[in-house]
Amino acid sequence: MKPQDTPIKNSLISTPEPSESKVPAGKSVKIDIRDLNFYYGKSQALHSVTLPIPDYAVTAIIGPSGCGKSTLLRTINRIYSLYPEQRAEGEILIDGKNILRKADLADLRRRVGMVFQKPTPFASSIRANVAFALSYYEKLAKWEQDERIEQALRQAALWDEVKDKLNQSALSLSGGQQQRLCIARTIAVRPEVVLFDEPTSALDPISTARIEELLHELRGQFTIVIVTHNMQQAARVSDKTAFFHMGELIEFDDTSRIFTNPSVARTQDYITGRYG
Amino acid sequence: MNWIYFRRQFIDRTAYVCAALATLLGLVFLFWILWTTISNGVSAISPKLFTEMTPPPGAEGGLLNALFGSGVMILIAIVVGTPIGLCAGVYLAEHGRHTRLASAVRFVNDILLSAPSIVLGLFVYELVVVPMKHFSGLSGGLALGLILIPVVVRTSDESLRLVPDRMREAAFALGLPRWKVSMQVLFKAAMSGIVTGALLGVARISGETAPLLFTALNNQFWSSDLNGPLANLPVVIFQYAMSPYDTWQSLAWAGALILTTFVLVLNLVVRLFANRRVFK
Repeated sequence: MKPQDTPIKNSLISTPEPSESKVPAGKSVKIDIRDLNFYYGKSQALHSVTLPIPDYAVTAIIGPSGCGKSTLLRTINRIYSLYPEQRAEGEILIDGKNILRKADLADLRRRVGMVFQKPTPFASSIRANVAFALSYYEKLAKWEQDERIEQALRQAALWDEVKDKLNQSALSLSGGQQQRLCIARTIAVRPEVVLFDEPTSALDPISTARIEELLHELRGQFTIVIVTHNMQQAARVSDKTAFFHMGELIEFDDTSRIFTNPSVARTQDYITGRYG
Repeated sequence: MNWIYFRRQFIDRTAYVCAALATLLGLVFLFWILWTTISNGVSAISPKLFTEMTPPPGAEGGLLNALFGSGVMILIAIVVGTPIGLCAGVYLAEHGRHTRLASAVRFVNDILLSAPSIVLGLFVYELVVVPMKHFSGLSGGLALGLILIPVVVRTSDESLRLVPDRMREAAFALGLPRWKVSMQVLFKAAMSGIVTGALLGVARISGETAPLLFTALNNQFWSSDLNGPLANLPVVIFQYAMSPYDTWQSLAWAGALILTTFVLVLNLVVRLFANRRVFK
């Protein structure tokens, strides 16, 4: 990785930044989750979760391993539908439409992008990775497509590192670069929502810091939901935080409040490291 | 040191020696066959093999018509067999993955995979040769294609299922339809396995004799007519090796050597492909 022009923000040790200045968080609800139950076969992973996720803000979902935070994320773009033994009950309204009922899944997933825990570049060139979904959804002229690819890579803070090797294999990039490529690939189709499933847990601290910076850049452009097991990360990047435990939503509030003055004792215990 | 220790050591050594001897025995026959083929075949190899037709009894000649016929029929088999096999493999691994139908198809395919090739030859005989009222290169290619299909189905199904779910999820999460995901992301990731399987299938059909006896038969002369009997290497080897003429016998050895070399080279190519796994 090349040294950056700007020094990495000291985000690994900094305290939560108040973010109200940048985003009118919580003004309107983008994703309204109501009474959601989720089952893996017979075992229930989510218990009547009700969670209104605000538009154009970063919402973090935290909680100990196995608490259902990734499961919740996987319902929002219905990626769980790939597996017939998994099912969800309840309602998830995106812009007022229940996506659990009847939905064009391909279109839903274009509008609700997802970045996974491990980088998953496709075995083709960097350019092809970004152009892949883009060329399917929009019939663009060559120059337009190139422009969109550049734009997406710039947004993902990857452009400077790859602009001279767009035709090289995406597998030749480092892990952190691969993850940023996956982000570029996701935002290239201009989704409304981007889901991040522990996007930095497989990365080193420097790559993590870059991805977090990127989240700061992207806030306000998309509705972002991020699952993380790293509480400092939640504190650093999010406007709202939801705390899950054993498949239940324990508390949902402004991030600053959750981390300074939570109203539920269990949240307090988790945040102060008493369990989890 | 007690007797239990010695007993265990004895069992261990015995098992080791048995395994080594069995391996050796297998290798001995393999090399014996190879050596016989090479030593008898090399003396019969000459440029004439590739320029002249199969001769009448007692005369000198080559194998050009048989090589050409075999090549054409293998080509027909690939053209017929791989697309069908690939599509079925994609169905089994992706679209029908969790369905009952897929497991039934998989089971039937496994049976087809181990079906005696002579049965498949008879099937094509009844289906194509009888209505056409004569043997033909086309029916020979079809019979070989029929043998190729289950091999390609099996290997493409398995290589696609080896692609990690997270690749699948990542592609679906971009909002792509299933055919696009299969065609571009998963095929690319599974490509080395799929090509390997197809090549192994080709290696297998290139030596098949039984199904060709009912379908392409053989042809003494040059023919590129797919609608008539077509010369081919396996049947020529079969007929010439059984004949009392020295020239025919040496041609049969040469044919056997060519066939063996072809399969060997194909297997080497396969190894080259198999070592290039794309995903980790």
